[in-house]
Amino acid sequence: MSVRNVIEGASVARLLKLRERIALGGGLLAFAFGALFILLVCFVDYLSPSGEVVPPFIKHIIFLVLIYSILTLSLNFVSGFIGQVSFGHAAFFGFGAYASAILTLDYRWSFWTAFLAAGVISGMLGIPAGAPALRTKGNFLAVITYGFAEVVRFVALNLDITGGPSGLPGIPTPRLFKDFSSIGPTGKEAFIILAFLLAAFIAYFTSRVEQSRTGRAFAAIREDEIAALAMGININYYKLLAFVLGAVFAGFAGSLFAHYTRFVSPEILTSDQSVLILTMVIFGGPRSIKGSFVGATVLVLIPEVLHSLKDILGLPYDPWLICYGFILILMMRVRPQGLFGDRSIFAK
Amino acid sequence: MKEGSHVAFAVVQQVINGLALGGIYSLIAIGWTTVFGIVGVINWTHGEVYMIGAFAGYFAVALFHLSLLPALAVAVIVSGSVAMSIDHFCYRPLRAAPRVALLITALGLSMFLRYLCAALWTPDPRAYPKVLSYSLIRLFSVGGQAVTISSMHLNIVLLTLLIMAGLEIFLGTSKVGKAMLAASQDFETIGLMGVEANKLIAITFFLSGALGGAAGVFVGVLYDVDPMMGALAGLKGWVVAILGGVGSITGSLIAGIVLGILESLVSGFVSTGYRDAIGFVIMILVLLIKPTGLLGFKFEEKV
Repeated sequence: MSVRNVIEGASVARLLKLRERIALGGGLLAFAFGALFILLVCFVDYLSPSGEVVPPFIKHIIFLVLIYSILTLSLNFVSGFIGQVSFGHAAFFGFGAYASAILTLDYRWSFWTAFLAAGVISGMLGIPAGAPALRTKGNFLAVITYGFAEVVRFVALNLDITGGPSGLPGIPTPRLFKDFSSIGPTGKEAFIILAFLLAAFIAYFTSRVEQSRTGRAFAAIREDEIAALAMGININYYKLLAFVLGAVFAGFAGSLFAHYTRFVSPEILTSDQSVLILTMVIFGGPRSIKGSFVGATVLVLIPEVLHSLKDILGLPYDPWLICYGFILILMMRVRPQGLFGDRSIFAK
Repeated sequence: MKEGSHVAFAVVQQVINGLALGGIYSLIAIGWTTVFGIVGVINWTHGEVYMIGAFAGYFAVALFHLSLLPALAVAVIVSGSVAMSIDHFCYRPLRAAPRVALLITALGLSMFLRYLCAALWTPDPRAYPKVLSYSLIRLFSVGGQAVTISSMHLNIVLLTLLIMAGLEIFLGTSKVGKAMLAASQDFETIGLMGVEANKLIAITFFLSGALGGAAGVFVGVLYDVDPMMGALAGLKGWVVAILGGVGSITGSLIAGIVLGILESLVSGFVSTGYRDAIGFVIMILVLLIKPTGLLGFKFEEKV
């Protein structure tokens, strides 16, 4: 190796470091603005003499945006990092929700332990769900993940412990010093802050993973599996890891969602839900943290707007459901890499 | 001893009950498998094409008072044309794009069509006017009890077999059919042999849609039609295609009947709630244990 090569190598390393630092700075800035915004939305009611400034409906939507951001970030481990399409991500979301509900209702666990357990249990489900990825990929894996989620849904519909089709009502609200429902003007604020912190943590975690040895292994597998194998990367381990990480975070989101709505039913396990999460990933751009948040925000807001349009115009059907298939078709035609994704994602 | 004969009767009766549905699954699966074999796309819209065929048949019978066979012809032509236009307008521009883009387009299109039809025709289920007479036919007896099949189911089974036979003859003897079989083995080479790729793909889509439409009419005659019917049925067709071996028509035929019978057995002996799940369990197991299915050939991965 010549001296010149060594020097070039060093400068490349320095550039990478610099880029990393800029990304981290941008992330911190985004976090600070996000936190300010969330705090303002949550507690501005106290500042105004008339009381309600932000209606509870808006707060509900903000919570939904945060939950779907977490789900989108978590699906990114599978669909972004290792580049495999998963049509079954709702299975982990629902599994976390059910696990948390059953643990707090039947076993009287506190929310915090049930929340952690939901992530762990959901992560364990990620192993059998990810196992097919070791043998198939692409089209076939997409169908397997779909089938897997459907099987989970049928089980939830038929077991007694999950309450069958009617689901589980009356899930307790979390407590931290005080009951969550008694914090803030509407009782939704503590949930919003918790969801925001979780989303921020996952975003940070994702950016760290991307820069790490693991992240580079993911990239190698995504770009060329056979070459990655030849470089001595343990493909099976990293593929399972991607599925498990995605499942753990989706499980957390499920637990939080269940305690927020205080109710779970097999509705949250439907394939429409899975496809919606995948649409968010694709719309925002796979592997883009910014894209995950934007994708989730846009695709939570559009249906809400269309729902109200339906009520205003008195349409007999929901225009959203038609639009959203159309968005997928349009994205694939116009910008297959999503808003903030880079071109190489769907290379093959 | 008596207990045993009773069980034997129940099993045989459930097998007979599953036959008609199994044949319908086979029809749907052949539509999947021909398209996948040639274009390599999981045509997620196949369930919707099947639904549109079922509705076309419904309107032919309910509004124009056609009898079963003309209505079937209408449905076949409509659904075949729909499938062909889907290929023309949505898949053809993406022919050079990565497969994942095609898969997601197909998924989006399937949602689009499903909910568009739900908006047009309301989501309520509709029953076909009576087009086949109903009577119970005694077939034979097992353990002293008579095994029966309804005349409607029997007619549908016979019609399905007729269509399958026609398909076999078409594929085996006609020039287009032979080209399709060859294309499913090696699409690039067949282009070199002077076959127009896009024309062949269009014909394949028409055939696939036509078979789906026929299946839709049969389901409509036996049960009812609604805009959501394609979601599950389409996927079951795919399950059957995988079980039979993707690309193999005979495999689909056998696997469809196997799935119909299995579902009938599960709902008879385990629980009706798990009836629709059994197919997915089978599909996952097949893909993990023997990805080529019963009669399929191997898809080699190229470096």
